Amino acid sequence: MTWHPTDDELILHFYGEDAQDERRVDEHLHSCSTCRDTWVEISETLKMVDVAAIPEPADGFERVMWARVQRSLPERSAARAWWAPRWLVPAAGFAALVVATVVGVNYWPAAPTTPQSPSTAEIAKASNGTAWTPAALAKARERVLLAAAGGHFEQAEMVLVELMNAEDGGQTNLWFERETAGDLVTAGRLYRETARQNGDAHLAMMLDDLEAILIEVSHTPEKVGRQDLRSLRARIDHDSVLFKVRAVSNEIRERQRTLSTE
Amino acid sequence: MHPEDAAAVALARAGDDEAFRVLVDRHSRSIYRLAYRMTGRPEDAEDVVQETFVRVYKQLGRFESRSNFATWLYRIGFNCAIDYMRARPHRESAETHERLDQLSAPASVPASDDLVFAGEISGRVQQALNGLTPQERAAFLMRHYHGCSIEEVSSALGLRSNAAKHSIFRAVRKMRVALQPLRDARVETTS
Repeated sequence: MTWHPTDDELILHFYGEDAQDERRVDEHLHSCSTCRDTWVEISETLKMVDVAAIPEPADGFERVMWARVQRSLPERSAARAWWAPRWLVPAAGFAALVVATVVGVNYWPAAPTTPQSPSTAEIAKASNGTAWTPAALAKARERVLLAAAGGHFEQAEMVLVELMNAEDGGQTNLWFERETAGDLVTAGRLYRETARQNGDAHLAMMLDDLEAILIEVSHTPEKVGRQDLRSLRARIDHDSVLFKVRAVSNEIRERQRTLSTE
Repeated sequence: MHPEDAAAVALARAGDDEAFRVLVDRHSRSIYRLAYRMTGRPEDAEDVVQETFVRVYKQLGRFESRSNFATWLYRIGFNCAIDYMRARPHRESAETHERLDQLSAPASVPASDDLVFAGEISGRVQQALNGLTPQERAAFLMRHYHGCSIEEVSSALGLRSNAAKHSIFRAVRKMRVALQPLRDARVETTS
């Protein structure tokens, strides 16, 4: 069976976080046009993010900020002085200078890599891709949506499985499930609207159904008693939510496979 | 660490507020950019910058001189921004929904002028960032704009490596969906 990198693997590839697979992915992208299309779409999107400028604060920002910070600074405690007497400072500063000079630590880039005022060339580089036909565009749109929705359903499944398997020991902590469900509700709305606009009413409906249970999970208290947990599980069981989520995930994977062979 | 930072940190730790001011002067703009991308609003970004430096001041005693000051500062900045956003859930969620509606509306075909298009990209990117959860946003920004490795992201945000990775994946997925109409429009006008 031919190996194809997943979208997530292509994201790691974009960021150079796939040291072990880098060559393998590169070689594959040379030979597989479907994966190459996805790669072009991912990298163009991320380059588009690069050229986004942000407004610079006005001149004198540093002065105003210092005034604000200074007003909020706590009083120095007298106790603090003993461990860092002023006579140690020149020595500490000198030592730091020597260390910095010799070691030349540069763990974090000093300035963001994003240009603040993108040049025309940079914009053109970020946005000029392959020539796309309307059909290819529609296909690309569908591929992006399916990738996003696929991940969404997989994550929802993970939350529901965690919930079904959570220890039923009196006061169960559902912080993780609750927070993740809340995030998924927000993301699901974006995907649902996109599905509607793409004319994918079926997927929009599935996302709608999933949202109902996710909202319920996101509204549960952080710690739930045995009875509440059981009734939440009963609701998931009764509506066969997990089964439906898995079925939709499979369906999405199938659609992705069909799309990649077209 | 930048030699000026090293000296200023050493002096500030000893109680020299003017030395601390040097650090504020030197780094407040870069923290503002980070905070703006995180919060999406200039006034919120300014609050985050202020809170970041107040926290830095309080924690200077815990800073290890062998570390890089900018790294440590960014880490505190991201965590301040996350706390700030979590503290305003109602405002955030109401606006997020508005923005999501805008995001999914069909994009108007941008003018062919590249600078106009750049402006449109900037607006959309910020809207898309606003649609991410604070954790996804922080993880994505650290990876994308600051070049942090996934290990560094996970350590800064107190996440497991896998969770950091998946936050980035989810963020990129959402960015792809949000920016697709703009990309389509651009491709249609250029082809």
